[in-house]
Amino acid sequence: MARLLTGLGAVLLLGAALWPAGVAQGQPKAAEPKPSSQDCLACHGDKDLKRGAPKPGRPASLFADEAVLKGSVHARLECVACHRTATAPHDSPLPPVQCAGCHDKARAALAGAVHGKAKGPAGAGAPACASCHGTHDVRPAAAMTIDSCASCHARQVEVYRGSVHGRSRQRGDTEAANCRSCHGAAHGVLPKTDARSSTYHLNLPRTCAQCHADPALAQRHNIPIANVYQLYMDSIHGRAVTKSGLLVSANCSDCHGSHEIQPHTNPKSHVYPANVPKTCGGCHAGVLAQYAESVHGKAAAKGVSTAPVCTDCHSAHQIRRVEGDPWKLDVIRECGSCHTESLRTYRDTFHGKVTMLGLTRVAKCADCHGSHTVRAVNDPASSTSPANIVATCAQCHPGATAKFAEFHPHADPESKARFPLLYYSYVFMTVLLVGTFGFFGLHSLLWLPRSLIERLRRGRERLRRGRTGSGEGREP
Amino acid sequence: MTQERYYFRFNLYNRILHGMVIVSFLGLAVTGLPLKYAQTGWGAWLSHALGGPFTAGYLHRFFAIITFTYFALHLGYIARLVLLRRPGIFWGPDSMIPQPRDLVQFGQHVRYFFGLGPRPRFGRWAYWDKFDYWAVFWGVSIIGASGLLLWFPTFFAHYLPGWIFNVAILVHSDEALLAVGFIFTIHFFNSNLRPEKFPMDSVIFTGRLEEEEFRQDHPEEYDRLLAEGRLEARRADPPPLWLRNFSLVVGLSSLAVGLVLIWLIIMTALR
Repeated sequence: MARLLTGLGAVLLLGAALWPAGVAQGQPKAAEPKPSSQDCLACHGDKDLKRGAPKPGRPASLFADEAVLKGSVHARLECVACHRTATAPHDSPLPPVQCAGCHDKARAALAGAVHGKAKGPAGAGAPACASCHGTHDVRPAAAMTIDSCASCHARQVEVYRGSVHGRSRQRGDTEAANCRSCHGAAHGVLPKTDARSSTYHLNLPRTCAQCHADPALAQRHNIPIANVYQLYMDSIHGRAVTKSGLLVSANCSDCHGSHEIQPHTNPKSHVYPANVPKTCGGCHAGVLAQYAESVHGKAAAKGVSTAPVCTDCHSAHQIRRVEGDPWKLDVIRECGSCHTESLRTYRDTFHGKVTMLGLTRVAKCADCHGSHTVRAVNDPASSTSPANIVATCAQCHPGATAKFAEFHPHADPESKARFPLLYYSYVFMTVLLVGTFGFFGLHSLLWLPRSLIERLRRGRERLRRGRTGSGEGREP
Repeated sequence: MTQERYYFRFNLYNRILHGMVIVSFLGLAVTGLPLKYAQTGWGAWLSHALGGPFTAGYLHRFFAIITFTYFALHLGYIARLVLLRRPGIFWGPDSMIPQPRDLVQFGQHVRYFFGLGPRPRFGRWAYWDKFDYWAVFWGVSIIGASGLLLWFPTFFAHYLPGWIFNVAILVHSDEALLAVGFIFTIHFFNSNLRPEKFPMDSVIFTGRLEEEEFRQDHPEEYDRLLAEGRLEARRADPPPLWLRNFSLVVGLSSLAVGLVLIWLIIMTALR
C-alpha cells in the first residue's frame, strides 16, 4: 500500500511538472480559468446526460460516477488532469484522453510491442489504454486480472482457465503461471514470431524454466520429474533448440501445448500416453506412419495400456540421438523392461554378450525386429517371419541360408518343450560338470590329509638320509 | 648334500607341447571368460583391458590355432610311434589307454585315503594322469569343434541345421567352464598344489625327475625299467639352473593366472 501511494505521488508530481507545458500546448485561450471537478460534475453528475449525436464505439451516456472516480487510483486527480482541454461548460465533444502525458514509460514500453501496434481485433487499431485499464475506474496494475486480457483474447483465456495452470490459479495457487508469467508485462508483450519474445520458439524453454527448473517447486506441486529442464536441455530436442537454434526442433509447447497445458495423466493432455504418438507425429510424421502399422502401434491404438508409445522407448525429456552407442545399448534394456524373457535369452548369445560389453556392432533387438516397424513373428510382413528371416540375418551374415536362419537367437536351454535337443545338451553338460567336479572334488579332499602325511614322511626320510650319509638307501 | 640322480620323464617334444597347452589354454581362458561373464564387473573390465570383445575375439582365435596345432602335433607324434611300430602305445604299462589296472589302483588309492591300505604302486601313468590326458583330448575335440562352428557359421550352415549353433554356444561355454574349472582346481591340485608337490612340480618343464621321487611316485615303472635294464637309458643330467628358474617363473605365473580366474568364477557363482 505504501508503494502504491509513493507511485501515486510520483504520478501527481509528474503531472504537476507537465502542467504548464500541457496548458501552453493545448490551450490557446490561456486566460480562461480551469474548471474544478465540481464544475464538471455539475453537468456530468447527471445520470441521464447523453451525447447530442451518437458516436460509434463510444457509450451514449456522458454520466461520470463520482463514487467510481473516488474508488479509482486517480481519485485525487482533478477531471482536467486528464480532460485537459475541458472548459465548463463546453459545447464541442472533448478529444480522447492521452495517458502518455503522465505515463511516458508505459508509452515507451508499448512503442515496440504488439499492444502498441495498430493491429487489433477486426482492424480496430491498437488497443487503447482504456481497453485494459478502464477509464474512470482505473485501478492499480497489480489489481488487474486475466479478465483484462480476456476482453480481447477471450478464446485463449478460456482455454487457459481449463488448463493445469488456470485451474491451479483458481484454487488460489499464486505460483501457477498466468498470462504475464509467460508473456511478460502487458505493455512489452512481443509476438511469438519476434526473436526477443519470451514465447519465441527458441526462448520458450527458458521461459518455462523460470518455474520448471526448480526442483523445490516441482515437489510442492507434485510434478513427478523435478529436473525436467536439465533433462530437456541435454536432450536432442533441447540441444537443437538452444545450441543449434533450430526452429523445427521441439520446445516445451510443441509437446505440452501452451494455453491448454494439462498434466500427462489427463486424457486431454497432448502427452497423455494414448495421445503421445499423435503429438510426436506432429513432427515425426514418417515415423508415426511406420509405428501405426507396427504391433506396438496397433496395440496402442486399440487402447492396450501396456503397449509402448514413443516416450516409453525414447523417454520424454532425455531423448537422445539414436545413432549414438549409449542409446543403442540402453534401448536393449528398454525392450527388455517388457520383453524380460527375450532379453534373458538374448544375453545368453554372442549378440547379447557383446552388447553387454559395450559394443554395438552385433545384432541388437531392432536390427532383427525393426524399431518403429516391429511386427509380430506370425505377421508375414515381419522381418522375423519365415519369409523374411534369411534376408534379416543376411544383413550381417552375407552368406546366410535358410538352414543358418534356423539358429534361434532366443533359445532357452531349460525349455524341454520348445528346444528338446538344446535341453538334452544342457542336461548332459550339467550332469557332466556336476559329476566331474563332484567326483574329483571329493577325491582331492580325501587325498589332501594323506598327501600331507606323505610329505611329512618324505621330509623325515630325506633328513635321515642326509644325516646317515650319501648313497644310503638308494639302491633297491 | 650329495648330487641326486635324475631320470627323464618327459622328452623335449612332450614338454614343448605341454608348453603350448599352457600358453593356449591360459590365453583362451583369459580371452574367452570375459565374454562368458560379460554381465560381471570383472568380465567387463577384463574385456576392455584386452581391447574390447572383438580384439579379445581375435586373440581367442589366435590361441585356438595354437590349440589346433598342438592337437595335430600330438596326433602326428602318436602316428609316428605307430609307424615306428613302437609297442605298448595302445595297451600295456606305458599306454595312456585306461586299463583294468587303473580301476584296481583307484580302489587301492581310496582305501589308502582312509588308511585301510598302502599307497598303490603306480606305474608311468596313474589313473588321474590318464584322466587329465583324456580330458584334454575330449575338451579340445568338443570345444574345438563347437568353436569352429561358431567361427564359421555361414559355412557350416550349408551342411548342418541351424539349431546346431544353439547347441554349440551352450556346449562351448559349459565345456569351457568344465575345462577351466578342472584344470585350475583338480589338475592343479593333483599335479602341483597337493602337499607332496606344493607349490609346484617342475617335471613338465625340466622333464627330469629325482631318483627318489621317481621311486616313490612311479615305483612300478622304476622297478620294471630296472629289471629290464632300461633305467640307465633314462638317466638325465641335473636340470641346469636357468631351466629350474624358468620352470618356477613360468609354472608359478601360470598357476597364479589360473587361480585368479577360478577364484573370480567361484565368486561369481556364489554371488
